[in-house]
Amino acid sequence: MITVSGLTKKYGDRTVVDDVSFELQPGTVTGFLGPNGAGKTTTMRMMTSLVAPTAGSAVIDGRLYAELPNPGAVVGTLLDASAVHPGRTGRTHLRLLATAVGVPASRADEVLEMVGLSDAANRRIGGYSLGMRQRLGIAGALLADPPVLMFDEPANGLDPEGIRWMRDLLRAHAGRGGTVLLSSHLLGEVEHTVDRLLVIGAGRIVADGPVASLLGGDGTTVRALDSSSLAADLKAAGLPVEAGAGGALVVAGTEPSQVFAVAAAGGHVLTELRPTERALEDLFFQLTTAA
Amino acid sequence: MTNILIDAPRPVVRSTRASAPTLVGLEIRKSLSTRSGKAVALAAAVLAPVVVALISLSGEPLDAVNGPIGALGMVTALVLFPLGVLATAGEWSHRTVQTTFLLAPNRTKVMITKVAGVAVMGALLAAIASALTTAVLLVAPVGDPSWAGVPLAVGVSVAAGAAFAVIGAGAGAALANTPAALTGLYLTILGAMPALRIWKPEVADALDPSNAVLQLATGHGTTANTVTLVGWVVVTTVVGTVVTRRRAVA
Repeated sequence: MITVSGLTKKYGDRTVVDDVSFELQPGTVTGFLGPNGAGKTTTMRMMTSLVAPTAGSAVIDGRLYAELPNPGAVVGTLLDASAVHPGRTGRTHLRLLATAVGVPASRADEVLEMVGLSDAANRRIGGYSLGMRQRLGIAGALLADPPVLMFDEPANGLDPEGIRWMRDLLRAHAGRGGTVLLSSHLLGEVEHTVDRLLVIGAGRIVADGPVASLLGGDGTTVRALDSSSLAADLKAAGLPVEAGAGGALVVAGTEPSQVFAVAAAGGHVLTELRPTERALEDLFFQLTTAA
Repeated sequence: MTNILIDAPRPVVRSTRASAPTLVGLEIRKSLSTRSGKAVALAAAVLAPVVVALISLSGEPLDAVNGPIGALGMVTALVLFPLGVLATAGEWSHRTVQTTFLLAPNRTKVMITKVAGVAVMGALLAAIASALTTAVLLVAPVGDPSWAGVPLAVGVSVAAGAAFAVIGAGAGAALANTPAALTGLYLTILGAMPALRIWKPEVADALDPSNAVLQLATGHGTTANTVTLVGWVVVTTVVGTVVTRRRAVA
């Protein structure tokens, strides 16, 4: 388990990360969202001892990252895909990492095949595209098959196939009991990948919880063959009805079962009945703008 | 991309951190894994013997060979500055320092292994250069010079190769900028020191590491020359280590 407690970073008078606390449980994929400059990358760098915090701590199974016996074997990180020497080949780069992490050199070829870079292994990284560098970074993080993966914007430069592959990778990793922290600006991709959301704005955590509860609204969305008649019956039943997008009716403060009961009593044919959900994009802007 | 993630056997992973010899070996491999590193190594190994071969074509006889070996040893040492600078400042320039510190968070240990790595390479390359230079002098038409003092000249050249590579590593770590470190070092050694020698020769004698190498290699060295060299090594390494420990990785 990863525990972040009161993590704070100040540069002079400027506070870039302000009292950030959260826990990451094994078997979960956590999305770390926030606008540019919100403090996501600085938080991740403090968690991995690249930046000294002004206050607070981040521990992995009770230890600071720098105190882990072999950090690369515990936490696989991708914080900056361009942090590679352009003069080295992909294979050379990974073999150097393999020595540092303590896995056989042959593991480099295994992870190259996993990420689809076998054909480019002997090419200099300087000639790689952004997506190839991203995949190389993911390969480096996977060398030791660590229990924790920490990725900062991993989908940058990936094509749709690559994004789907990465989503499957992260879900499979969590499915095997691993822990994943993933920061991204691609809200749609995050929504389909993560179990839990951490939203940071102006250096502070503004939301922390399961995706379903954060995106779940308080109400029911319903469509019927005769929406106007249904709306009248719902109002007659004392339920607040508002027009929603695309001809739907939104009944605030109700469970779907309540709406269904009214609809059934009036003999209405329903074409859609579900709890009202907010779009992740709406939640993101609502929370981060307020911060 | 393959879908072998779920069923792939886990790799065998070392449970502890890499040992110091492993990290030193890793630093050497890193230095020689790029075209720039290989170019510096090649230049350091062959510049001195090529120069002595060209000079010997003039047919001028030599009185002794320890002087040319020592002087060219000093030249080789100057060529080895970039080896050290690239090992440290090069990592900051290319941002590979991020990966280095993620896998080896103890930055003092990282600096020590980098220093050890460039020292080993510097000594080895200087030894190769000295051996090739000696070999050229053995067959070159330089008359019948004295070979007295050659072991000392070679030994000092090897030590200077290690020392100057380490100085480069320290300066590179302190500045975290390859062009700045190289420019600063060469301006200091090849510009400021000669100027200082004109103005305050006794101060230049105390501070100039290249002069210290020449004096030591030709058998005219004193304890003060050794202190000068060691002082440069220690000061640049300590400053580079302190700065590295405190600098945030962007």
